[in-house]
Amino acid sequence: MWKKIAIGIVAGFINGFFASGGGMILVPSFIYLLSLNQKEARATSIFCILPMVIVSSFFYYKNNYIDWKLGIMCAIGGIVGGIIGAKLLKNVSDKILRIAFTIFLLYVSIKMII
Amino acid sequence: MAYILIGIISGIVSGSGMGGGTILILCLSMFMGMDQHKAQATNLVFFVPTSISAILVNLKQKIIRWDVAIPVCITGMIGACIGAFISSKTAVGELKKIFGIFLLLVALFEIYKLIKEYIIDKKRHNNIINEKEEEK
Repeated sequence: MWKKIAIGIVAGFINGFFASGGGMILVPSFIYLLSLNQKEARATSIFCILPMVIVSSFFYYKNNYIDWKLGIMCAIGGIVGGIIGAKLLKNVSDKILRIAFTIFLLYVSIKMII
Repeated sequence: MAYILIGIISGIVSGSGMGGGTILILCLSMFMGMDQHKAQATNLVFFVPTSISAILVNLKQKIIRWDVAIPVCITGMIGACIGAFISSKTAVGELKKIFGIFLLLVALFEIYKLIKEYIIDKKRHNNIINEKEEEK
């Protein structure tokens, strides 16, 4: 039980602070600390992030950070991308995508820090 | 239009489980010159409709583990309040830097995972070769 509480608080904090990244904490924690399988871990993590996102939205909304129009435009793209992704990932090895993503992240993160 | 394109890219990345949200925030702040706070807020709006369809599918397939989901949801909301409150009080420049450090850690973890998988694959490959030689 303590593990679950700790995972929730840490992931919630990260997801509130960065408004993202909750899944990156939850999925590996669920797999390695609570021994869920990959599928269960992903499904459970998305479900858990939704209330975190709703709660954090309140703080961002209060500070006038939310731009609804842009958010909805991105979300429309996101739904289309999700469908493309689901079809594309069956064909392209997700390892290539992961390596590309990692290189991109390294480059961008260093640029952001400097 | 550019925003829809950024959404599409993030949606594709989301499917592979590597944080579509971080990509969305990155693109918005790096390429569109958006404030870090606003970029992060946009991701919140982005997340709700894109996740609900996934959640519905998962509910139907019954793969959500409720014994884990319920405690994590409750404590997660507490954590999210604290995180979002501190974030909203953090200066834009600082938040961007901290976000950069977070991404660097994510990238390093991803490299660690890729190397680990590579070693496991190689071991398995060697074992198969050894078994074949033993058969001879």
